[in-house]
Amino acid sequence: MSLLRTAPLLLVAVLAAACSDNTETMTTTMDTTPRMYNQVQRLGNPLVSEVFLAKRSHALHGSTGPATDVATIRAELVNFVATVAGRNATVQNTLATVLLPDMLIVQTDKDPATAGWLSWALANGYGGRKLTDDVVDAGLMAIFGPLLDPSNVSPGLTTDNVASDSPFISGFPYLAPANP
Amino acid sequence: MITISRPMRLGLAVAIGIAGLMGARQIAVASDHQDTADVELNPKQDMTDFYAFPTTAGRIALVLNSQPFISPSTTATASFDKNLLYQIKIDNTGDAMEDLVFQITFTGSGASQQVQVRGPLAPTVKGAMQNVVLGADPVVKGSINSILGSSSGIQVFAGVRDDPFFIDLEQFFRILPDRRPSTGPLSTPSTASASAFRPAGQAVDAVLGANLAAIVIELPTSMLTAGGNAKIGMWGTISR
Repeated sequence: MSLLRTAPLLLVAVLAAACSDNTETMTTTMDTTPRMYNQVQRLGNPLVSEVFLAKRSHALHGSTGPATDVATIRAELVNFVATVAGRNATVQNTLATVLLPDMLIVQTDKDPATAGWLSWALANGYGGRKLTDDVVDAGLMAIFGPLLDPSNVSPGLTTDNVASDSPFISGFPYLAPANP
Repeated sequence: MITISRPMRLGLAVAIGIAGLMGARQIAVASDHQDTADVELNPKQDMTDFYAFPTTAGRIALVLNSQPFISPSTTATASFDKNLLYQIKIDNTGDAMEDLVFQITFTGSGASQQVQVRGPLAPTVKGAMQNVVLGADPVVKGSINSILGSSSGIQVFAGVRDDPFFIDLEQFFRILPDRRPSTGPLSTPSTASASAFRPAGQAVDAVLGANLAAIVIELPTSMLTAGGNAKIGMWGTISR
């Protein structure tokens, strides 16, 4: 909403105020006005913003929701796969379709034993994302490796060669205690 | 005593609303130039990862991680930002809009901070902007760094944990320098200086030994599919 469009409304409200004799303190007003929050960060699937989108686009991703992803960031995601990774339309379209709208998909009626990032798309599994999932390697393999298509792969970019180091715990809250 | 009439209060509310919108726009413009420098300056706003995984039969755990690189020396006093609204949004109708939300807020500061969790409920306002906190009372509340709620209902933990993520970020920025932060030791490469990752043994996990601020919510999966489909989509957000 632009200031130009709301200015007349504001003027009316202020003029109306000048004619009233109701008496309540301003403090009461502030407490009953619901605070509004604007989104600054968002994350569904890992890597979507960090890998596929130029840094200048991260704020757009962070301030919008999945419903507009196809319209706003699909072209940039596809362009990254085409130009930076040099992959064909099969890889471009598969990644765009699986990752956008950018939500972490869970098929709750599938076997929990099949849980793992993108298993819903790759194997009709549960999906979601486990703490132990090597999403960097999975993403790199899809973007640069032969997972989705054998042509023009980049073998040096299919794994970052680091593994999970966290001593996860078996019960809630699952994440390892803070490092001392 | 200054007294203000009801219509005046409306006028003030409108004016405050406009000021809020203009403030948000200025920040957005600034972010277009410096991108996540904004988040770099405000690390508590920095969301790092989102997880969702099955636990015991019929239950699912949701994890919203933020505030990376909390050092062990500041862990004891680390806390969340009480001026932020942390949310987990759930689409269970396939339209990429949230049908249910968890809203997590904090009061107090430091290690004595308190967490309030509302939801899962239909949000008052859908979408990324102008969200408001649900009118409902929290379903779980209590101190950070402790296990709250019920293991058969909604269970909550909000506090400092080990960062579960792992990546050779240093080499990643050598390959894709555009993505690097504006400050700190990882900010230096400005042009690509590598075209492949380092071999095992030379590769370095950038978050090894680092802590972060974690929000973990576990609940019956049926609470997320209620009124919708078995296939759901979820994402975490941080708003201010």
